[in-house]
Amino acid sequence: MNTKHLKRMLAMLFAFTLMAAACGGSDDASSEADEATEESSETGGDESGALSMAIVAPSASEDLAFTQSMIESIEALERDVELQVTDGTFVVEDAAAAIRGYAEEGVEVIVAHGTQFGASLAEIAPEFPETTFIWGTSTDTQGLPNVFAYYPAADQGGYVNGVLAAGVSESGSIGVIGPVEAGDAVAYVNGFAAGAEANGATVNIAYTGSFSDVALMAEAAQAFLANGNDVLTGSSQAVVGAVGVSREAGIPWFGTQANQSSLDPAGVVASQVYHWEVVLEEMLALRDGGTLGGEAYEINLANGGLVIEINPDYPGAADLQATVDETVAAIVDGSITTGG
Amino acid sequence: MTADAPSTTSDSMARSDAPPLLEMRGITKRFPGVIANQDVSFDVRAGEVHTLLGENGAGKSTLMKIVFGLYQQDEGDVLLRGQPIDVSSPSEAIAARIGMVHQHFMLVPTLTVAENVALGIRSERGPLTDLDAVSDRIRELSNSHGLSVDPDVEVWRLSVGERQRVEILKALYRDAELLVLDEPTAVLTPQEVDDLFVILRRMTDEGRGLIFISHKLHEVMALSDRITVLRNGRVTGQTVPSETTREQLAEMMVGREVKLVPDKPAVTTGEPRLAVQNLSVQGDRGAIALHDVSLEILAGEILGVAGVSGNGQRELAEAVAGLRKPEPGASISIDGTDVSLLNTKARRDRGLSYVPEERMKDGAIAEFSVSENLLLVNHDGDDFTRSGLFDFGKIKEHCQALVNRYAVKTPSIETPTSSLSGGNIQKVIMARELTSGPAVLVASQPTRGVDIGSAEYIHEQLVAQRSNGTATLLISEDLDEVLGLSDRIAVMFEGRVVRIVDAADATREGIGLLMAGVTDSAPAG
Amino acid sequence: MSDFFTASILVATIASGIRLATPYLFASLGETIGQKSGVLNLGVDGVMLLSAFFGYWTVLERDNLWLAVAVSLVVGLVMGLIYATITVFFHATQGISGIGIFLFGLGFSELMFRRQVGTPLPVDKLPKIEIPLLADIPWLGEALFQHNPLTYAAFLAVPVVVFMLNKTTFGMNVRAVGENPQAADSLGVSVARTRFIAIVIGNTFAGLAGAALVLELGIFQQNLTNGLGFIAVALVYFGAWRPVGVMTGSLLYGLVAATVLQWKAQGIIPRGASDIASMAPAVLTILALILLANRVPAPAALTRPFARH
Repeated sequence: MNTKHLKRMLAMLFAFTLMAAACGGSDDASSEADEATEESSETGGDESGALSMAIVAPSASEDLAFTQSMIESIEALERDVELQVTDGTFVVEDAAAAIRGYAEEGVEVIVAHGTQFGASLAEIAPEFPETTFIWGTSTDTQGLPNVFAYYPAADQGGYVNGVLAAGVSESGSIGVIGPVEAGDAVAYVNGFAAGAEANGATVNIAYTGSFSDVALMAEAAQAFLANGNDVLTGSSQAVVGAVGVSREAGIPWFGTQANQSSLDPAGVVASQVYHWEVVLEEMLALRDGGTLGGEAYEINLANGGLVIEINPDYPGAADLQATVDETVAAIVDGSITTGG
Repeated sequence: MTADAPSTTSDSMARSDAPPLLEMRGITKRFPGVIANQDVSFDVRAGEVHTLLGENGAGKSTLMKIVFGLYQQDEGDVLLRGQPIDVSSPSEAIAARIGMVHQHFMLVPTLTVAENVALGIRSERGPLTDLDAVSDRIRELSNSHGLSVDPDVEVWRLSVGERQRVEILKALYRDAELLVLDEPTAVLTPQEVDDLFVILRRMTDEGRGLIFISHKLHEVMALSDRITVLRNGRVTGQTVPSETTREQLAEMMVGREVKLVPDKPAVTTGEPRLAVQNLSVQGDRGAIALHDVSLEILAGEILGVAGVSGNGQRELAEAVAGLRKPEPGASISIDGTDVSLLNTKARRDRGLSYVPEERMKDGAIAEFSVSENLLLVNHDGDDFTRSGLFDFGKIKEHCQALVNRYAVKTPSIETPTSSLSGGNIQKVIMARELTSGPAVLVASQPTRGVDIGSAEYIHEQLVAQRSNGTATLLISEDLDEVLGLSDRIAVMFEGRVVRIVDAADATREGIGLLMAGVTDSAPAG
Repeated sequence: MSDFFTASILVATIASGIRLATPYLFASLGETIGQKSGVLNLGVDGVMLLSAFFGYWTVLERDNLWLAVAVSLVVGLVMGLIYATITVFFHATQGISGIGIFLFGLGFSELMFRRQVGTPLPVDKLPKIEIPLLADIPWLGEALFQHNPLTYAAFLAVPVVVFMLNKTTFGMNVRAVGENPQAADSLGVSVARTRFIAIVIGNTFAGLAGAALVLELGIFQQNLTNGLGFIAVALVYFGAWRPVGVMTGSLLYGLVAATVLQWKAQGIIPRGASDIASMAPAVLTILALILLANRVPAPAALTRPFARH
C-alpha cells in the first residue's frame, strides 16, 4: 500500500514539474526582457524616474512581424521604461489574465497588443482607472477614458509595396497571402492590390484563415507559384514559411509589419515597418499631463510611423528608393488615395 | 522428495505415495483490515477434481490467485509435485504448468481464437506470429478433447459456451497439469454444464488435477472427488460427496443450518392479478427481443421464468414494470385494468412492485442513505409529508421499522447504501418494494451475488408475499431457485416462452432441454 | 485560369496535399500504435514542437539535414520514454498527463528557441528526391514521386505498421493489451512492457512528424505546429484505429486543405467566403468522424491504466 501511495506522489510531482517547466518558459523570457531594460535604465539614470510598462502580445517577441514591431518601438522610446513582456499568448483568456495581473501589480502603462483583446479590456480597464491601457490595432477606444487606441494605415505602405511589386513582376501576376480577413492585414492587402493594379499588374489574394499556420501559408505560396505568380507578399507572423517558398523559387517578396530582409536577403525587396514609437510618445505625453486615455492614434507615412525600408542588398535598390520617395510624397499630399 | 505429507482429510482416495500435484500448507493472506485466508491447507492430486466451496468473500479466489502468481501469501508454503515453489507472476505459473479458467473470461474479443491461444507463447518464427501452426494444434486438441471451435474466427463471434471451450483450450495448449476453474458454469445452460463436465472428466482421466470453484451445490456434488469448504477465510470442512449432503455443505458455508428450499404453505390461488397478452418488445439494439409473449399469474402464485441470460427475460421484466415500450397490440393488465399505456408511477399506484436485476443501477441510488432509498418510491404520498414538506420524525420511525423487520445489517439508517453488502442492499430494496403489499411483484435475479443467508431470508419473504395473495413474476438464472419457489415455470428461449409447466412436474433435465430450445422430444415433466 | 493549365494545377494541388498530409500521417500512425495498446497520448503536438525545434536547431548549427532527422527521432523517443514512464509505471491519468506533455513541449520549444535562436532564420529544407522511372510518368509522377524522403517514409510506414500490428507477436500483444489487458496479463504477456514499447514507438513517429514539418518549411517559429498534433489524434478516430484508415484521413485532410488554397489562389472561392472555406478540412473530418466513428469501437481498454486486481 505504501509503495502505491509513493508512486502516486511521484507521479504528481512529475506532472507538476512538467507544468512548472511549461509555465517557466514565459517567466524566464520576461525576466530576460527585464534584465535588458534594467541594464539600459542603469545607464539612463535614476531608477525612480523609470516608467513601468508591460506588453501582452499574441506572438513571439522576435516574430519578424506584429509583436516585434511593438517591442522594438517601446525600446526606441526616448524615456526610461521598465518593460515587462508576456508574449505568445495566442489564447485570449491567457492574455486577459496577464493584463489583469500587470494591472493589479501596479504597472502604469499596459499595452494590449492585439485586436482580439478588446472585449477583455472593456472589462478590465474600468476596474483600474489609474492605469493607462494602450490597445490595438483598433480605430477607437471603445469609449474608455483610460484606453489609448492605435492603428496602422497599413494600406499606405501596402500601396507603396504594390507599386514596387508591379515594377519587378515580369508575368504581371502577383500573389498576396493574408491570414484572417480582419484588422491591419486587410488594410495592407487592399492597399497593396490598389498600388499594384494601378501599375498594370493582376493581383490574386488568398486568406489562409489562420494567423499562425505556417505550413498553410507556405502551401498558399506554392499554389500561387503553380498559377504563374512571380512576386509574392503576405501579412502576419505566419509568413515565414511562405518567404521560404519564395526564396526557394528565387522570386521577389515584399514584407510588412517588420523588416523581413533576414528571411531572404536576396529576395526581399522592401518591407513596410511599423514605428509605433511616434504615437506612443504622444500618448505618454498626454499621460504626463494627466490624460490617461481616450484618444485613438494612427501611424502613417506622413507622421513617420510607417516607413518603407528597401533591402539594400536587392539589385537596383537605389532606383527603387526613388519610386518609394515619389509614391510616399504623393500619398502624403493626397494626390494618391490608397483605398484604406 | 518430501513424500509423506500428512493427509489432513478423511478421504479414501489416496492412490499412491506420489506427492500431491499441488499442496498448500498453512496459507495466510492479509489485506489491510481483512484476513482473506487464514491458515488454509489444501491439496490436489493428479487425476482428481477437488472443489473449493464457499460464499462470495470466503477466500476462494484469493487462494487461487496465490496459486496463479497474482498474489503472494504472507505465511505458509506452496508445493508443486512435492517441491516448494514461489510463483510470482502468471507467466511463472504457466511455466509450472498451472492453468486457470477465470470466472470472467480472459479473452480478447477482437482477436481470433488462435491469437487468443497464442498470446504469451514464444513463436517458432521469432518476432513473427506462427498462427497457422497454432491453428493446427488447436484442431488436434479440439478433436482429442471434444472441444469443437474454429481457431480462425474472432472470439466476439462465439457463443458463451464456445468461449468457455477456448479458455480450456488455452490451458490444454500450454499442457497445464493443474487447472483452476473459477465458477466455470455461471453462464452455461444445464446441457452445456453437462458437456463441460464430460470434458473435465476426460482431463482428469489424462492425469491432470482440477480445482473446481463453485457455490452451486448440485454441481459440486456431481463433479467433485473431494470438497473443501471455506468460510471467512478459514477451512470449515473437507469431505467427499458420498459422505455429505447439500444441506450439510450449505451449513459449512454459512455456519448455521440453512433451508435451501423454503417451506411453501398451501395457498388457495385466486383471480389472475397479472395478465400479459401478445407482448412483443424491442431490445437495446432495436431488434425484437421479446416475441408475442402471453401469460397469467394468479393471486397467491409464483410464476418462475427459467432461461439462459439474454433470452428476453430482462425485456419481459422491464416491459411489465413500464420501463420499456411494448410494440402495438400488446396488453398488460393488473387486476383486470390494462396498464400497458401507463407510466411506471401509474402502474405502481395500481399495485406493481419491481425488484430489478441491476440492483445498484436500477434498484437503488448508491450515494443515498438507506432511509432515502427506502423512501424512493412513495415519497410524495400523504404518509410522510405535512403540507408538502417531509415529516422527518415519521420517516425515521418508518425506516427504522423496515430495517428491523427485514433484518438489514446496517450501522444506521443514515448510512450510504453503497457501503452495504450485496445481500443487505437487496434487503433494502425488497423492504421498499414489499412494504406496500403489492398486487403484482416482478423480481429479477433477487438473490444473484447474495450470500446464502440473505438469499434464504429473501426466499422466505417471497413465499410470505405469496401467502398474502401477491402474484409474483420471478426471473432467475438460478434453476434451483426457480424450481424451489415457483408454482409454475415458464421457460424462455430466444425471446419466446417455449413452454409453461407445473413446478410439481418439472425436472432439472426437462427444463434444461427447454432452455436450450429443444421442445419436440421433452415432455418437460 | 484557362483549361490549358488545369492538369498542371491538379498535379500541384495533389503534391501540395501530400506535403500537408505528411506530418499528420506520421503523427497519427504513431498515435494509432499507442492507442491500440490502450494509451491515449494528447501530447503529440508538444512532442512534435520539441522535435521540430531540435531538428531545426541541428540544421542551423550543424548544417546537416540527416543529423537533424536523427535528432528529431531521438527527441520523440526520449519524450516517449517519459510519457511511457508516467502513464505505465505511475498510472497517471492519460488525458491530463498528455496535456502536460503538450504544455511542456509548447513552452520548452519556445524557451529554447528564444534562448538559442531568437529571430527565425531560414535553413535548408530536405531535398526533393525524384523516384527513377516513376517520377517520369506524366502528371502522376510529378504529383506523387517528387517529394522529400520523409514523405516517402511516412507512406511506406503504413504497410510496415499494418504488418507489425497484424503479423508480429509484438503487434498481437499490442492489440491484446489495448482490448483486454487482464487477459493478456493472465497469459504472461507483460502489459507494462508492451504498452511501454508501443508508446515509445508512437512518440518516435511524432518526432518524425516534427521533423517532416520543420524540414519541409525550413524555418521554426513558436507554436509552429498550430495544433496539428491534436488533429492527428482526431484522425486516429476517423481512421478507426487502422493504419490505412489513418492514411486516408490524413490525405483527405491535406488534399482538402490544398484544394481550398488552390481555389482561393485562383479566385474561385470569393473572398467573402474565404474564412468559411478555411474550415473545410476540419468540417469534412468531423463529418467523417460522425459518419464512421460510431461503427467502430475504440480499443476497449483505451485510457485505462492497468494494475493487477
